[in-house]
Amino acid sequence: MTKKKSEAANEDQTRDTKKKSVSAVKSSQKEKPVLAKQVKSSKEEEDLLLDSATDSDYDGDSLSGSLNSDDFDSDVFDSEDDASQKETEGGDKDSSEDELELHGNEDSDDDDEGEQVDSENDEEDGSDEEREVAEESDSSEDEVAPRNTVGDVPLEWYKDEKHIGYDITGKKITKKEKQDKLDSFLANMDDSKNWRKIYDEYNDEEVELTKEESKLIRRMLKGEAPHADFDPYAPYVDWFKWDDAIHPLSSAPEPKRRFIPSKWEAKKVVKYVRAIRKGLIKFDKPEEEPNVYLLWGDDSASDQKSKHLTYIPPPKLKLPGHEESYNPSLEYIPTEEEKAAYELMYEEDRPKFIPKRFTSLRSIPAYENALKESFDRCLDLYLCPRVRKKRVGAHSIINIDPESLKPKLPSRKDLRPYPNSCYLEYKGHTGAVTSVSPDCSGQWIASGSADGSVRIWEVETGRCLKVWQFKEAVKCVAWNPLPDFPILAVAIGQDLVILNTELGTDEEQQKIEELLRLGTLPEQDEAVAAIVSWLPDETYGGIKIKHFKNISYVDWHPRGDYLSAVMSAGETRGVVIHQLSMHKTQRLPIKMRGLPVCTLFHPTHRGMFIIATKKNVRVFNLQKRELAIKKLETGLREISSMAIHPGGDNLIVGSKEGKMCWFDMDLSSKPYKTLKNHPKDITNVAFHRSYPLFASCSEDSTAYVFHGKVYSDLNENPLIVPLEILRGHSTSSNRGVLDCKFHPRQPWLFTAGADSVIKLYCH
Amino acid sequence: MPKHYRPAGKKKEGNAARYMTRSQALKSLQVNLNLFRRLCIVKGIFPREPKKKVKGNHHTYYHVKDISFLQHEPLLEKFREIKTYQKKVQKAKAKKNEELARLLLTRQPTYKLDRLIRERYPTFIDALRDLDDCLTMVHLFAVLPASDRENLEVKRVHNCRRLSHEWQAYISRTHALRKVFVSVKGIYYQAELEGQKITWLTPHAIQQVFTNDVDFGVLLTFLEFYETLLAFTNFKLYHSLNVKYPPILDSRLEALAADLYALSRYIDASSRGMTVEPKVDASSSSQSNDRAESELRLAQLQHQLPSSEPGALMHLVADKEVEEDEETRACKSLFKDLKFFLSREVPRESLLFVLPAFGGTVSWEGEGAPFKEDDESITHHIIDKPSAGHMYLSREYVQPQWIYDCVNARIILPTEKYLVGRIPPPHLSPFVDNEAEGYVPDYAETIKRLQAAARNDVLPLPGVGKEDLEDPQNLLYAGFMSRTEEIEAAENKKTMAEREKQYHEELKKELKKEVTGSVVDDVAAPVVEEGEGEESSVPDAAQIAQDTADMPTLMMSRKKRKLYDAMKIGQKKKSESVERIKQRKKNLKADQ
Repeated sequence: MTKKKSEAANEDQTRDTKKKSVSAVKSSQKEKPVLAKQVKSSKEEEDLLLDSATDSDYDGDSLSGSLNSDDFDSDVFDSEDDASQKETEGGDKDSSEDELELHGNEDSDDDDEGEQVDSENDEEDGSDEEREVAEESDSSEDEVAPRNTVGDVPLEWYKDEKHIGYDITGKKITKKEKQDKLDSFLANMDDSKNWRKIYDEYNDEEVELTKEESKLIRRMLKGEAPHADFDPYAPYVDWFKWDDAIHPLSSAPEPKRRFIPSKWEAKKVVKYVRAIRKGLIKFDKPEEEPNVYLLWGDDSASDQKSKHLTYIPPPKLKLPGHEESYNPSLEYIPTEEEKAAYELMYEEDRPKFIPKRFTSLRSIPAYENALKESFDRCLDLYLCPRVRKKRVGAHSIINIDPESLKPKLPSRKDLRPYPNSCYLEYKGHTGAVTSVSPDCSGQWIASGSADGSVRIWEVETGRCLKVWQFKEAVKCVAWNPLPDFPILAVAIGQDLVILNTELGTDEEQQKIEELLRLGTLPEQDEAVAAIVSWLPDETYGGIKIKHFKNISYVDWHPRGDYLSAVMSAGETRGVVIHQLSMHKTQRLPIKMRGLPVCTLFHPTHRGMFIIATKKNVRVFNLQKRELAIKKLETGLREISSMAIHPGGDNLIVGSKEGKMCWFDMDLSSKPYKTLKNHPKDITNVAFHRSYPLFASCSEDSTAYVFHGKVYSDLNENPLIVPLEILRGHSTSSNRGVLDCKFHPRQPWLFTAGADSVIKLYCH
Repeated sequence: MPKHYRPAGKKKEGNAARYMTRSQALKSLQVNLNLFRRLCIVKGIFPREPKKKVKGNHHTYYHVKDISFLQHEPLLEKFREIKTYQKKVQKAKAKKNEELARLLLTRQPTYKLDRLIRERYPTFIDALRDLDDCLTMVHLFAVLPASDRENLEVKRVHNCRRLSHEWQAYISRTHALRKVFVSVKGIYYQAELEGQKITWLTPHAIQQVFTNDVDFGVLLTFLEFYETLLAFTNFKLYHSLNVKYPPILDSRLEALAADLYALSRYIDASSRGMTVEPKVDASSSSQSNDRAESELRLAQLQHQLPSSEPGALMHLVADKEVEEDEETRACKSLFKDLKFFLSREVPRESLLFVLPAFGGTVSWEGEGAPFKEDDESITHHIIDKPSAGHMYLSREYVQPQWIYDCVNARIILPTEKYLVGRIPPPHLSPFVDNEAEGYVPDYAETIKRLQAAARNDVLPLPGVGKEDLEDPQNLLYAGFMSRTEEIEAAENKKTMAEREKQYHEELKKELKKEVTGSVVDDVAAPVVEEGEGEESSVPDAAQIAQDTADMPTLMMSRKKRKLYDAMKIGQKKKSESVERIKQRKKNLKADQ
């Protein structure tokens, strides 16, 4: 038999190493007592018991194995043997098959088992020898006695020692020097076979795996049998010899259940069937649809309007500037001091990105915030409320020039004439000029000052015509609006003095003197008499009306007979109206809330009277004696002054917070326009009598001139254009311009400054 | 809330009815915050800013319509289904019913986002417009290491990588790349597709690190959407080239991590069709003839089928001729006759993308390269080492920055500043408008001069500046031109203003004379001063100008005025920073 021959040859090869290997086996028996025992037992039993196929594979080889571990189960050790067998068998495979067939022919009447047994029996005598050989050859080839004799002790015990154990002669085995990682890596790179090398901790040496061994390991890692030829599903061979047996192994009768179908199995089957029918269990995988296709085939269908809200695209990230370059110009890199200053800043003020410079591309490190920034962007995308960008014209608001935000105003040239430059200065007062008042002809101007003097100037020349000196500071002066009554009302402390300016013709003078002569005074109401008393003025020959409180404001009725005086008192006592012709005084017929600030007689409508308190403006009809007709809500904190358009429908109100409100009284009780033009208190506002001009003056020593055109068409809103800022007054004791009035005929403006100068601005 | 039923006490209109807070939204949708977030991200729903915040300032408000939009989203049902399915699997596992669990896991419900993409981006242009974030994110994840802990699978990283390469291949092929900027954060690219400027950032090809302060759940949800979006976009783009998508790549090149090269070859092969085929054959047969090669050929042959119908190819060619605009042509021919070789240490992926995009031929050190280092026709060798080893005299050894600077300047810059071992000149951002910024770095000036010189070379009459200026191609120069004009105009204006002022002053003086003439001193009054202290009545011109400028601000509404002020502050800040840079530069000069 060829197989035997080959095995014999194998035996020859290994014979010389036999003796050595035997000793090796003996030495290794100590380590693997269990295996050894198995081997022994199999040897003993082999004559008596017929080994199974696996068993025959199993024996003999066992003790080999270059890896010194017990973990491998018996299968591991098979492989070597099998491999060798395979090699030897490879050549004469055909012949051995022949042999089998031969056998089959011989015992064709036998059943399968018998055949198997026969073949096994044939082999047996051979395998007996072979087993010995294999056993010895295995160990002789691979198994080197372990250098280390310490046994199976934890290697940690030798961790701190210089040696790793003792060899067979009892000498210390010193540890090898460890290669450092770089060297080993380089070695790895140089030597293509390096991956085969395994470090054996126990013996402190490197073992190189053979090809077969590595294959074996690979198979084991996969969870297969280590031997390539091993068939785990080999057909079952019943080695029991039934031929000779007369009696059954068990005399128990066959149970019934062996003959009837299993109920549980049936149930299981039904369950599965149902599941399949229901579609719970599917056998064919669902068809894979292509996951990409032409999504935007034709864009024509996209025109349909989506029903939901409009999509606001997220703003794009800011594009990087020069400073983010890996190699920016030197000037972009902050100096050390600046960097140190950044450290001192608050976290939110600190610049997010500090430029760095790298001299070559290869030296750029990974950006550590890459993920973080990406994450932040994601958060922005789904957490930040998006607002549609405001658009001004065609540009988005971010890109526009701020100048384009300014409204387009009509050219100032077209709105001429208006006062724009200082033409005259009237100097003479020694204290702050608190009030000015031009006479209705426009030839004269009266001024009152904090030094107690009242002066009359000739407008054109600046000549001071008259001076009256009082003991107290002059609060307010007002010319009578009638041209043939050149008299002056002056508020000084608690007194309201009516002065004869002695300017008109003789006839006029007579009339005035008559008027100012206090004959028998008419009966006053008791309530009025308590707060006001009419007296002749001794020093300057006029009338002195004494009030119970300081007068803050005086205003003439356009007809020139009445004049109102404002005191800081509430209810009906704050405002009194004097009638000059009758030498009579009336109190306000209506109770008022709050302290009055200033009053106005309506220029066109008789009996209409406007009172500004600190917060609001109320319009009364004095003739009807009823509650306020109208209340204008200014929204200002404290009103300081008020002026009415000669047309009578528009009103401007100045406040102490520097705001000026324009009311269109026909339109609404809310301001049509609020202008915040002064940083400090507005002291006075004024309308021109004929030109469409108005002005405001303030404590910040400027005066503003505006164009304020009111159209007769009710649908058209008034046009307001700021024209000029008039500077020139200097601030003294924290006060600026205290009063401003327009010239009655010319577009000229008088301003009274706290620097005791009156200025005339002309066009 | 259904239309026909409004509970008592609920508002019918106004902000209270139109907006709801996030927790209200969660309640009405009956989802948890996690699911809500996912839905919001994939649906592109974002909070809104109501005019009046009814519930208070510290809430996030969603529009009711947005929420009802979510409510009707089929994906919501799908997510719920998935959730219950997960529970089933968990239950099976808990009951040790491994088989059932396995069975269940094989047929988990899945969902697709394609409908959402169509919904969010009805036209292709819309999708391109929002592609910036998508590209940046996909490129970032293409270089991230897969991580179990963060639930980032290898498959996804590979997908990102594939998508990004496909995108780059398309851009490179159509020469749509416009600007490149190497920053500390990575490399910015800007391409122009269908009139949309698309900018994206790719990280440097270095191992990225995971940080703990990000929520990967959010990132991965975004990534999921972006992956789908980019896949569909790529499909559309490849479709426009008549190339089949997804591409089948030469597995050998893919294994060598030369995906981009493989892709470009694929596109070339399948869009050019039969005519090129022999050449590809030759090149492939000259290289090793392994299995992969034959597979590629097979794939190529396969893909020619659709494009090889007679009409299609013609159409493609004709189309191309038309749609190529001026700039594309300029970009295409920048590196036209140049042959580059990349050394091992240069960023290969970036340059393999950029160089072909500008018409260059490129090879690299390593396997699979189209030509070897010793090729005589190589004109430029890109190297990023302090010194080169063996130098060929026939080629120039330059640093990679040279390429990026050339690309941004659109001319071939002189190489001497970029030679090996030198510190290259500063790398400037192409995204900055130097004129608007107010500070022009030195090197930008140099480049501008070189550009002008290059243009003069090209023009028939180099001496005529006018021709130069009217050259409509060059936007840069046009910008320059308009600026000079502007300066001139400003100067004119200034002189005019001065003259006007002078005239006014004279006028005033005359007036004054008249006045002083007319004034007559009178009476005892110490009075009468004609009113001009020179400085007081005629304030300086600056003051007048200031006043004139400020005048219209008076008429602005408060809101506008605030905005105006804020803008002014912004401008001031900007000018300050420019000043700082100038100061630094001065200091640097002083130090030298």
